[in-house]
Amino acid sequence: MSDHLSPVNLNSLADGELSAEDLAIADEHLAGCPSCTTDALYQAFLKAATARAGQRYSPPAHLLKKITYQSERQTSEPHPETAARSRGRFGVLGWATAAAVLLVSVSVLLMQRSVHQAAIASAEQVALVIEVSDQHIATLAASSPPQVVSSDKHTVKPWFQGRIPFSFNLPDNLPKGTTLDGANLTYLSNQPVAQLLYSIGKHRVSVFVARRSGAIRPVGPAAEQSGFHVMSFSTDDLEVIAVSDVDQARLSDLVSVIEKAQTGTHKQVN
Amino acid sequence: MTLLPWKRADRESGPQTSVFEDLALPLFPSLYNVAFWLCRNPTEAEDLVQETFLKALRGFPAFEPGTNFKAWIFRILRNTYLTSRTGLAAMRTVALEDELEKSEESGSGLQPEAAIDRQTPEINLIRLSDQAALHAAMEKLSPPLLEVILLCDVQEMKYKEIAAILDVPIGTVMSRIARARDALRRALQSHPTPIREFRV
Repeated sequence: MSDHLSPVNLNSLADGELSAEDLAIADEHLAGCPSCTTDALYQAFLKAATARAGQRYSPPAHLLKKITYQSERQTSEPHPETAARSRGRFGVLGWATAAAVLLVSVSVLLMQRSVHQAAIASAEQVALVIEVSDQHIATLAASSPPQVVSSDKHTVKPWFQGRIPFSFNLPDNLPKGTTLDGANLTYLSNQPVAQLLYSIGKHRVSVFVARRSGAIRPVGPAAEQSGFHVMSFSTDDLEVIAVSDVDQARLSDLVSVIEKAQTGTHKQVN
Repeated sequence: MTLLPWKRADRESGPQTSVFEDLALPLFPSLYNVAFWLCRNPTEAEDLVQETFLKALRGFPAFEPGTNFKAWIFRILRNTYLTSRTGLAAMRTVALEDELEKSEESGSGLQPEAAIDRQTPEINLIRLSDQAALHAAMEKLSPPLLEVILLCDVQEMKYKEIAAILDVPIGTVMSRIARARDALRRALQSHPTPIREFRV
């Protein structure tokens, strides 16, 4: 045999890489060539031997643990670019959302607080209206005269000296048909107040003058209670509430002149 | 240029990590073994395998299911090795090997008749059973020849797979395998045999 199998063919034979056609040619050659058969056998043994010898190094146990840990860590952590994108998105959307939530929360809180405070104030006003009406009715029903009986403001006003911890002014001129009947020392919301008693025609009017404090709040717009009109005004120091069954216009005239007496100007008449 | 199967896909969503582990972890001992052969150093081998797994996990979404995962991850291992300090030195050898291949193609290289020792087949077969001699012979192989032997004989890969991993033509793979085995044979012939030791 002059044409022996080339090393490449011998290796391909050992590696099982010869095509069917080349394998047939090689088989035919090997059948008549002991030299190439020996070479082919040697190549096959060499391949098997290197395969065994090549399996030389075993990984240390800690390496697999390290790789498994690394893999889990890599999985749990977002990819740097993804994380950066996420951070970027959070930077815009996250902060905007947080700001919106904060704004809504604060608004709701303030609204709730405002509603709550309004409800409290409203309840206190109603209670005060009821209380002044009740006191007015009690005064009308009383058979006893006022604690100070006088149509003179210079008598009534001084009577309160030492009885109440504040002072007030009484108007010099009252609306037509209105007279000062006297005054009582009474209490509203556990606070000492002056109850001025007026008559407008045959209608009796109680004007409560109190020191402005947290206990006595403005009554607000003209209110109605058990058929009585309730009107009020406030100054920096005083809270004044009038109650009567007289018509609202004439009551308003009286309240206006009393208010003018306190400040010299019309500030607020409800 | 035809892209390799794992280069074709660059999908946003890939198989899950558990799939990666199912595919990669069985190859862990083989990867370490090849890494150690290439690096000849346990610490470098560990680093190489770790980095290979990390790169493979990151790149796994681009891996096309159903293609050759073993070839894919071994290619990552090799590329990672080539960019390492040890691998960079081997790159110079690769360049030298390319020149040798060119000289082979011109007819001045391996001679078929001289490639196989036909005079002492029994002695050669006895030497094949000597693990120390084989280890020594393999250690003498240059990195390009060693890696084809490792991939072909130890990992039992086909020439086509090896060509894809090494990014060389199949002819180059065949040529390198032939030269590697010839180098092994020569190294084994020069190695003292156990029989010779008995005689001493």
